Amino acid sequence: MNKILLALLLAIQTLSLWAQPKITVAVAANMQYTIQELITEYNKTDKTKIEVVLGASGKLTQQIQNGAPFDIFISADKEFPQKLAENKLTLEAPKVYAQGLLVLWSARPNIQPTKDLKLLLGSNIKNIAIANPKTAPYGHAAEAILKKYGLYDKVSPKLVTGESISQTSQFIVTQNADIGFTAKSIVISKETQGKGKWVELNAQDYPPIEQSAALLKHAKQNNEAAAKKFYTFLYSAKAKTIYNKFGYIVK
Amino acid sequence: MIELAPLWLTLKLALSTTLILFIIAVPLANWLTGDKGVFKVVVQTIVSMPLVLPPTVIGFYLLLAFSPANWFGHWLEQWFNIRLVFSFSGLLIASVIYSFPFMVHPIQSGLSSLSPSLKEASYSLGKTKWQTLSKVLLPNIKPSLLTGIVLTFAHTVGEFGVVLMIGGNVPNKTRTASIAIYDEVDALHYHSANIYAGILLALSFAILLLLYSFNRKMQQARFY
Repeated sequence: MNKILLALLLAIQTLSLWAQPKITVAVAANMQYTIQELITEYNKTDKTKIEVVLGASGKLTQQIQNGAPFDIFISADKEFPQKLAENKLTLEAPKVYAQGLLVLWSARPNIQPTKDLKLLLGSNIKNIAIANPKTAPYGHAAEAILKKYGLYDKVSPKLVTGESISQTSQFIVTQNADIGFTAKSIVISKETQGKGKWVELNAQDYPPIEQSAALLKHAKQNNEAAAKKFYTFLYSAKAKTIYNKFGYIVK
Repeated sequence: MIELAPLWLTLKLALSTTLILFIIAVPLANWLTGDKGVFKVVVQTIVSMPLVLPPTVIGFYLLLAFSPANWFGHWLEQWFNIRLVFSFSGLLIASVIYSFPFMVHPIQSGLSSLSPSLKEASYSLGKTKWQTLSKVLLPNIKPSLLTGIVLTFAHTVGEFGVVLMIGGNVPNKTRTASIAIYDEVDALHYHSANIYAGILLALSFAILLLLYSFNRKMQQARFY
């Protein structure tokens, strides 16, 4: 019996040794469609298997602080990776890869989103979806723009909070929320084509969503070279073309 | 800073769910206790479903049902001008579905453990079905009733997955204590999370301790 078990263990061990290199990337939810395209492009030249864990940037930060086995963190802001750097969980200083834009989106047939946010006060809008401002940078930006126009207190009874920008977008697409704030990269992806109408909000009205990424300490125990290579790719010209395509601003 | 609102909301949700389920479950359990027809077996199966279903399945279907894009949600909005998603009523409906077996099962097993002669004696003394149930059967299954009430209450307090899917984290409406903990942990506010979690831990312990002490006393009373 023990021999069989040993043989089995050995077999599993050998199999995992034969497997191609693998890295795990923690990705902010607004990048959910973009990351797929980045990986497809990357795998054209490098077959490293890249596993994606999606979530709100704040949640992922919390998980990394508690020892989650991620090699790279692709955040939706600058602050969360910075926090990890301060806690010495990154291998080098985080860098900005793209700037995200906030949009107002509705899938209800009778609601037309406008740049003028006063429409949110209308009685035809019963609830407004935003991402959790504490953990999702796009939620934070949405809160900032509402506050800037003095609308926050008036609309706050209507606010429903998604735990990440993906849940927020799901509330909007299923029309459970009449309207909501989400990332431009989500509304212009193939997956959401033809689902409702959206409008881009003035980028000067909220603090810039400077999305940065960080190479994490865990990569050292895993496959540092592979992780580092994909991390570098995130700042390459090819990657920038993809960010552009998904509506991000790239410098 | 810790807010008390999520705890009150949890209490309100748990109490309302328990009350509603008690009213539904007593007659249903009584009906299910009799001879089993095919129809009863089907009903029994449906009642037990939430025991094995992941909460996300219930959450997913409710999300679809409540959406104004679908006929049920549309109908509610058109005729009654209500939207159940992200509301306390929606959460209450979800809790009632989700905790159904926790109320029905204990009452049902209590009723079926009673000797049939009890019912027969009551009938032959001229009592109606309803009088027999309320004056003879129910007083004899107090421990089962209490178990049903306590389990339903506790299960609703512990509800998480469904609330996460259809709640929307709205303060005073759908931000229950379990959601508040999740939220505080994500925001790295471990102190607040600790307080909420500690209160829930103490509450669960106290509830179960009370239940077991009471049932023990009842059992002793029966034997001596």
